This record gives sequence, C-alpha cells and structure tokens, in this order.
Amino acid sequence: MTNQTQTSQVDTPYCPNCLEHMPSTEAKLKKNRCSNCFDCPSCGHTMTTRATSQVVTNPDDPSKTTSKKVYYLACGFCRWTTRDVSITDKPQASGCWEALENPDSKRIFSLLETYQQLAQREKTEKERKKYVRRRSYLNYAASMDKYGLTSVAAKKKASVGSSMSTLKENEEAVIKTFSPSEAVVDFDPLTDDFFTKPVLLDKIASIGQRLASPEFQPEEAESLHPRHKHLLIRRSLRCKECEHNLSKPEFNPVSIKFKIQLIALLHVPEIRMFSPTELKHKKECKIVLSVCNPAGYNTTVSLLPVKEQDDYSNSKVELPKQEVTISSRDDAAIYDDGSQGQEVFKDDPSIVKFRRDNKIGLIIKVTPGILEGDIKVSFWLKHDYRNTAIALPSEGQDPQTLWLQHRVLLNIGPLRDAKG
Amino acid sequence: MSAKQKVLVSHGAVVCDECEIVGDVTIGARSVIHPKARIIADDGPIIIGENNIIEELVTIINRNPAGTDANTQQVMIVGNNNVFEVGCYVEATKIGDHNVVEAKAKVGRQVGLTTGCIIGSMCSLTSNEILPENTVIYGEECERRVQRERPPTQNLQIDFLTKILPNYHYIKKTKSSTPQRT
Repeated sequence: MTNQTQTSQVDTPYCPNCLEHMPSTEAKLKKNRCSNCFDCPSCGHTMTTRATSQVVTNPDDPSKTTSKKVYYLACGFCRWTTRDVSITDKPQASGCWEALENPDSKRIFSLLETYQQLAQREKTEKERKKYVRRRSYLNYAASMDKYGLTSVAAKKKASVGSSMSTLKENEEAVIKTFSPSEAVVDFDPLTDDFFTKPVLLDKIASIGQRLASPEFQPEEAESLHPRHKHLLIRRSLRCKECEHNLSKPEFNPVSIKFKIQLIALLHVPEIRMFSPTELKHKKECKIVLSVCNPAGYNTTVSLLPVKEQDDYSNSKVELPKQEVTISSRDDAAIYDDGSQGQEVFKDDPSIVKFRRDNKIGLIIKVTPGILEGDIKVSFWLKHDYRNTAIALPSEGQDPQTLWLQHRVLLNIGPLRDAKG
Repeated sequence: MSAKQKVLVSHGAVVCDECEIVGDVTIGARSVIHPKARIIADDGPIIIGENNIIEELVTIINRNPAGTDANTQQVMIVGNNNVFEVGCYVEATKIGDHNVVEAKAKVGRQVGLTTGCIIGSMCSLTSNEILPENTVIYGEECERRVQRERPPTQNLQIDFLTKILPNYHYIKKTKSSTPQRT
C-alpha cells in the first residue's frame, strides 16, 4: 500500500512513555506534552523517578528522627538528576514537578488576543460587505412590502449592527492596549571576563540543550530544567477510494489488526531465502527456500517452471516435481512444546529440508549461468486458496477452492564460495 | 614478560576460578571478580583495592604501548568501590575510587580516573588526561558533564554477589601467596 491509496488520520495523541491517551483539545491545552513524563534536559533520554529516604527531625520532639520518602528525577543515560541543579526533592512520586513559567507568556497572550480580534474584525467586515450588497434589494422590497419580509430583515439588520458595535468597543480596547514589539538597536559590550577567563565547558549548556527548550534557552548547565515529554499521534489508516478503515490503533499494540482481511499477506504463502549457500558457475547448487503458510487451512503448494518468454532469469533452475502440503497457521503454536497435535507429513528429504509448524524448507537446484552479477531465476508459485469468508461452515458446504498462480522472481545474488 | 606469577587475594574477596589472572595481581578485601574476567599484569603489577566489582568479560590489562622499552615497569593501581561493567577494557594505570566503567567502554593507557567518574557504555577514551572528579562521559559523541554527586556505592550488590557466586562457581582461595594455577 502506498500513500496514494490510503490516508492517515489523527486518532488521538498519546504519551510514548506512559501510553496515556489524551483528547486532542486537552493535548492542545497542555501544549502537546505529557504532564507526568519528563525528558532529560541534558541528553533527551526519558527520566525515571527515584526514591530515597531522607531523615527528618520530628517538629514536636527534636531528639526523635523519622525517615521520609522523597523522590527525584534521574536520567539513566547521562546520569543527570534534578539534584544536580538544586531542585528540591518532592514528597510525591508524580504530579508535583511544576513547570517553569514562560517569561514571555504575557506577551504571547496579548499577541494571541490581538490577532484573534483582528481576525474577528475581518470576519465582520466580510459579513458587512455581503449585507451591503443585499441592501439595494431590501430597500426595493421595503418600498413595496409585499411579503411582510422587511420587518424580519430589519430585525436581522439591527441584531447584526448591535453585535458589531459591541465588538467594536471590545476590539478597540484590546488593540489599544497592544504595543508593537521594539527592535533592539544596541547591546551592552561583552565584559572582559568573556575574553580573559577560560571557558568551562561543563558549566555551559550546549546548543542542542539550549534549543531543546526554546522558551528559556538556558545558557548555564545549572539552569537546565526537566522537560515535559512530547506527545505522539496515534494514526488510523483509511482507504482513499472506499473510505473503509484499514487499521485502527487499539490500546494494546498487539491487538491491532487490519480491519479488512483481504491483504495478500494473509493468504499467499510467503517465500524467503533460507540461508546463504555455495554458488559456483555451471554447477548445480542447492538453495533452500522457506515457504510459510499464513492461512488457517492446510495449503498445497507447487512450484512450476516458467514456460513463456522469460527476460528475468539468467540461470537454470530445477524445481521440485511434487506438490507439498504446508500445515495451517496456528497462533498458539509458539506456546506449544511441539510434541502433540502435529500432523505427520511424509516428506521426500530430497525436496523438503525441514518442516516446522506452518513453515517448510523447500530445496531448489540452481545452476548459475553467468560469471558476474546477480544470479536470477524465476518460477510460478501455485497454491490452493479457499474463500472461507463466503462459505459459512454452518451451511455444511465445502468452501470454494481456487488454484492461484503467482510469478516469483528470485535474485540469489552473486557467485560465492562455501565460506561466504 | 613477567616471569613471576603471584596472585594475592585478600580475605573476603570473591574471585571466581574461571577468570583469567596473569602476573602479579593483588585483589583487596570484598572485591568481586566474576568468571571470564581477565586481569593481566604483563608489564608491571596490578593492585586492585577494596569493594570493587569486576564483571564478566572485563579486561583489565597492564601492558605498555607498542614501541616502549621492554624493561619499563609500571604499577597499575585501582582504588576502592569501582564498578567495571560487562565487557569493558581498561588499560589506565591510575584509577581512583567510586568510578564506574560501563559496559563495553574502553579506557586508554594515558587516562587517569580520579573519583566518581563514569565512562558510559561504548565510549572509548584514549586521550592523555586526568579526568576531573565526578565527570560523566556518555553517548555516541562521548559528551561530557560534571555531576554533583558521585555514583552510589554498590554495597548491596557486593553482598548479594558474595553470597550467590560461590553457589555456582569455584572460588579462588584467599590469602594465597604461593604461585597459582591459572
């Protein structure tokens, strides 16, 4: 599937660390960050909460001491801790790590407000234009008040006008208080210390560390502060043509399934090269292909030679003559010890190298016909396919069986010795 | 090559028999040496202090760089409370206390570790310098920073290992000054 045939949709933002889901409005309020999880300001790794006990003297009886649990944040990668920058330990494990106030938040709010007002003003102006265009008709209608419409229109006009006037007052007030930003013309010259004192690199925050928190841009390593973790977006995939959901995220990633079970991946046996083998020019070499049956029924597979014009292959291939049956896929098979319930197949060891669950190793013989470049062969994969979706098992009828053929192009790679 | 083969294990240290110790090596009390660790004193003795943990596949080696006079001898001293994590490689001759050399890290001959230094996983340090106290080196680019507190001591882990390791491994006898079979 490509991007041309599918669209991805925002499902919900979530925190990649605590996996908590958040509605997008709430996420927007929290600036798309998780309130409980933090990133290390020094290296960006996720921070973990550590607990230690602290000895506190009892306020009632100074001779007695009690130990109290306190928490701090630590990075497991660069070993940065909140204690490094003198942030006091907290009595609770989460929820009390207050964020620093953005020094420019006031300015940002006033800008936001002003631009909202400006947008509103533009909107009303547009509306007014529409209204002006209509007035001529209204005047005309008023003159002949045939349908009793004028009173309705007049009311509407009055309401629009009043809302406009109140808006105007508001807007004037906001726009008046707004002051445009001033350009900085000159700076204080750098102090002599800047030139004479040696640079202590471990006291200074790196460019990356500074830019990671753009609102503060701490210059000293001492003023680094843990950053709230960014949320990620869970996406769902939808077909552009039929608008069906293709995949929708679930709370448990393991349970995410394709919504439409018609993908070839779920029906056509998968062929892979099993292991690298010796390949010598003009010499018959055995190559093991692993064939994996993804379907829920035993599939019969045979490999057939290509009889028609073949531009792809450059070497001779000898395929197994018989059909082989591959057992059905069983999701629970990995939990079995493999001793019971397995069907026994009588395999010809000259064509079947191994058999395990729903996978077999098929031996094909390739005679490389070229000295340089990749050795390529092609063949047809023929397998039976039962359309289990249409025939209901309760009706007692046999599911429809089809024989499907797929052309397989196999690039085995260049010639190599047994060692390679 | 050093002809004398003298391994001195202090009382309370746990040294697994499957580790490889070559040359003149002294191991302090309550230090733990895992199986398959290699401590090789080719060009001078190695003295390891107390409460150190030396994990599997660690190589601590006292060997002169190629091209130096064969008779040059240098003592390699490892302080107390150090942790050498799995697979690290240490050539440095001066190692203080409370250092951590993380997994697969490499510390070169000319480096000196003072106190509380941490060499992160896979970091290779081959410069000629003495690291200031509590230096942390981490990441692909070997970034550095200085920590306020030194890493905590691993006493609980040492207690645990001293209890558990003898259940599953042969342990070298302590206080032996006679030549050891290795």
